[in-house]
Formats: sequence, C-alpha cells, structure tokens
Amino acid sequence: MDPQVPLQISHLTKRYRTPSGGFLEAVSDVSFNVYAGECFGLLGPNGAGKSTTINCISGFYPTTSGNVSILGHDVYAHPKQARQLLGVCSQEDTLDTDFKVKDQLIRHATYFRVPVSEGRKRADDLLKRFDLNGKADQLVESLSGGMRRRLQVARALVSQPKILVLDEPTTGLDPEARRILWEILMICRGQGLAILLSTHYMEEAERLCDRVAVLCRGKILDIDAPKNLIKKYMSQEMQEEEVRPGVLWKRPSNLEDVYLKLTGSKLGVNGA
Amino acid sequence: MWDYFWGIRCVWLRYFDVFKKSFFYYLVTTFLEPILYLLSFGLGVGSLIGHLKYQGTDISYRSFIFSGIIGQTLLFQGFFEASYGGFIRMYYQKIFQAMAITPITLSEVLWGELLWDTTRATVAAEVVALIGVISGDFPPQCLLLIIPVCFVSALLFSGLGLTVAAYSKTIEQISYPQYLLIFPMFLFCGVFYPIENLPVILQWLAWSLPLTSVISILRSLTLGFSIDPKAIVILIFWLVIWVWIARRAMTQRLVK
Repeated sequence: MDPQVPLQISHLTKRYRTPSGGFLEAVSDVSFNVYAGECFGLLGPNGAGKSTTINCISGFYPTTSGNVSILGHDVYAHPKQARQLLGVCSQEDTLDTDFKVKDQLIRHATYFRVPVSEGRKRADDLLKRFDLNGKADQLVESLSGGMRRRLQVARALVSQPKILVLDEPTTGLDPEARRILWEILMICRGQGLAILLSTHYMEEAERLCDRVAVLCRGKILDIDAPKNLIKKYMSQEMQEEEVRPGVLWKRPSNLEDVYLKLTGSKLGVNGA
Repeated sequence: MWDYFWGIRCVWLRYFDVFKKSFFYYLVTTFLEPILYLLSFGLGVGSLIGHLKYQGTDISYRSFIFSGIIGQTLLFQGFFEASYGGFIRMYYQKIFQAMAITPITLSEVLWGELLWDTTRATVAAEVVALIGVISGDFPPQCLLLIIPVCFVSALLFSGLGLTVAAYSKTIEQISYPQYLLIFPMFLFCGVFYPIENLPVILQWLAWSLPLTSVISILRSLTLGFSIDPKAIVILIFWLVIWVWIARRAMTQRLVK
C-alpha cells in the first residue's frame, strides 16, 4: 500500500447473501488506483456494482476479499484515519433535514474534528462557490432537487478531503448546475484532489475523466483514457445512425459507443 | 478507545442540538403526556380509591400510581423515540448512513442513537419523579436514587424500539409491537394496580415482561420498600438482550 496514492483498490470482491438465500457477487476482483489530481470514472449500467464498490471504499460495507486503502490507510483496519481523508457524496439524498443549509455543513465538518469557527469559514466559501449562499439560513426542504445535490457535494468537500467520491452526482441537475459542479471539480483537481466519479452520462465521463473503468456485472471490462478506449474499440472514426425515421446522422465515435459495445447493448433499435 | 467515545459524543450532540432547536416541541411531546396521566389517575382515580395495600403496607393510590407513571414514561419515551424516531432517521432522513461514512463509525452512531433516546426518557422520568417529590408523595433523595434504574430501563426500552425500527419494512409495521407488546405491558405490568391482583398465570406473564421489574424497583426506591432481587436479574437480562439485538439488527439492515 503506497502512502502516496489517494485511493488504492486491489482485488476487491464483494458477495452478498440475497433474500432468497443465494449469493450474488456484486463486485468481482476489481483493482484500480486513483492518483492525486486525477479524475477517475466508474462507468456501468444499473446493477453493475458501482455503488457497492463505493460503499466498500468508505468501509461501510465489509469486503468479501481484497483491500482498499486511502493514502496508505486500510479502510477496514483503520477506518477513522482513512475516512478522515475521504469525502463521499452518495447517490441517495442523505442531507440532514433537521438543520439549515449552512449549519449542516458546519456540523458535518465537526464529524471530521474541524472546529466550528473553521467550519463556518469553509461553509461560507463553499456556499458561495456552489451558488447557494442565498439559501444559507434555510432548511433543506426549501431547496430544489438540483440545489440539494449541489449541497451534498459541497458537504463532501467541507472536510477538505484528499479523495472525493461522487456517486452519480449530476443525476437530476440542470445544465447550468452541472456546469457549476464541473467547474468546481476542475478547480479542486488543480489543487491535487483525487476524484472518483460514477456516472451514467458518457459525455460527462469523456469530458471530466482522465481514465475510466467500464464495469459490468461486477467485473472491470477495461480501464483506460476515454480517447484510447474509443481508438481501441471503435474501428470506424465516424458513426452513422438513424436518429429519426429517414434521418441519418454522421458523428465521430464517442465513449458511449464504447460503453454500449462493451456492456453488451446496441445503440439504436435496428442494431445497425 | 477515546476516539470511540468522541464519535458517540458527536452523534449524541447532534440529537441534543435538534432538541434545543425544537425545545417547545419536545417540551410538549416529552413532558405533557406523563403529566396528563398523573393528573388523570392521581387525582381522578386516586380520589376514587384512596388507599390500597401494597406489600402489606397501606399506601395512597396517588403515590402508587405516581411511581408507576415513572415506569410508563420510561417505556413510552424510550420505545417511541427509538422506534418511530429511529426509523425516520434511518429510513427517511438516512442520517445513520450519512454519519457512518465519516470518521464516525456505524457502531458509534448506534450507541449515540440509543444513548440519546435513553437520555430523553430518563429526563422525562425524572420530571415525573420531581412532581411526585413536590406533591409530597416521594422523598427528595429518590430523585438521585432512581437515576441508575431509570437509565438502565430507558436503555432497555430504546433497544427494544430500535430493534423494532430495524425489523420494520414500513413505518406502519411499528404498530404491531406497539399494540402487541407495549400497550399490554402498560396495562398489565403494575402501572395501575398491584399485579398480585391478577390471576397467577397473568402474574407470571407480567413478570416475564421487563416493565414489571422496572416498576417494582421504582416503587421500592420511591416508596421505601425493599428491592426484589429477581427484578434486578430480569431487568439486566432484558437490557443485554435488547441492546444486543438492536445493534445487530440495525447493522444487518444497513450493511450488506
């Protein structure tokens, strides 16, 4: 375990007992690293094992086998030290609805032993950057879905983590809110933050991620830079598809073509 | 070790801050109910009955019911805060999940939850006891004497409540144990009358439930009777069982 690497996952396997009594291997022998300043994408259809992987990274789910370490701290042997360096924005809305927007950022920071005065400073700064400062003294209920999502990402950053894990952070965001988030992530990366991002949006992955892993039925099918994956899997540089009856579009091959090819689905109904 | 207590304290403080913010709400929901019971039974039924024989001694029904209401307060406050409150925090607010991926672990979150529920119920029970002291039914020193048994009983009933929250698929399902276990305890475990008045089979059943022991010990401490050792054993037994099951069941529900 290299203490320099923000996130190291080696041979992670996670098996569940299903309600019917059988076993389901949600994650099989997954290994990858995320380096400082890097944005690493985890792509895969629903049920591919993305969220399970993320729950293992935070140490919330015990692994069946394999290791996860954050800057050299094993998340199972030393969960407190490891999680001190980890910020997570989970897929579900887990905002604390009993507290106002700013208060809950300060409170969340105290879980990381950040003093209240320092937490307040960080909260002010984050709310400004996420364009939420008008809502600082309101309850979460008064926020729109997109605002709640942004607040949850802001909350994951309030502890100033070294590795940020985002589970489908842009689901439900409008284009403007998505832009705000992308910009903030870019600034954070410039400061050396490592980011693990799970997403359904290939355009987002292609734009943000230095490398992506394509996950399907718990297994990693390939890991590489989006550009390299496109080169590797798409023989033609251009794709032609019928987007409306009788209307043909010609466009360059993209990550979505690779994703659909690898995960076994075909773009378009006629399979052309 | 120190880190572990720090985590529990963080969780407890979160609940305490919610309590401070919604003080009026808690004032009404925590203290009003036992006070209504005290007034209704202490004054209403009390004047009807006057005195009764408890363990061979003549005592006023008002003193008798006041000590029972302390036990009822522990049962209701501990159980309802942990079952409905715990379910809401776990299922709707997902607070357990949010806190348990920070340097605070799930184990600490669950202790924080149980200890908060326990704190709330213990404070409510002390308020009832204080009213009993003011009305002259209990000696003042009993306020201190009952703290350990109140704390242990509140933790037991919180454990029972959190277990129910862990096993309930929907919030409606909490009603089953509420009607099948909590209300029967309230009615048959000696809050309103000495259980010696019940048929022997029901007495046995009553003693198998934890509230009977709780009330037996509380009556001894507030009214000056000797403590039944069997009550302590039963109380500790249920305490260990329910706290253990609650933590295990909730962990299994959240962690795959």
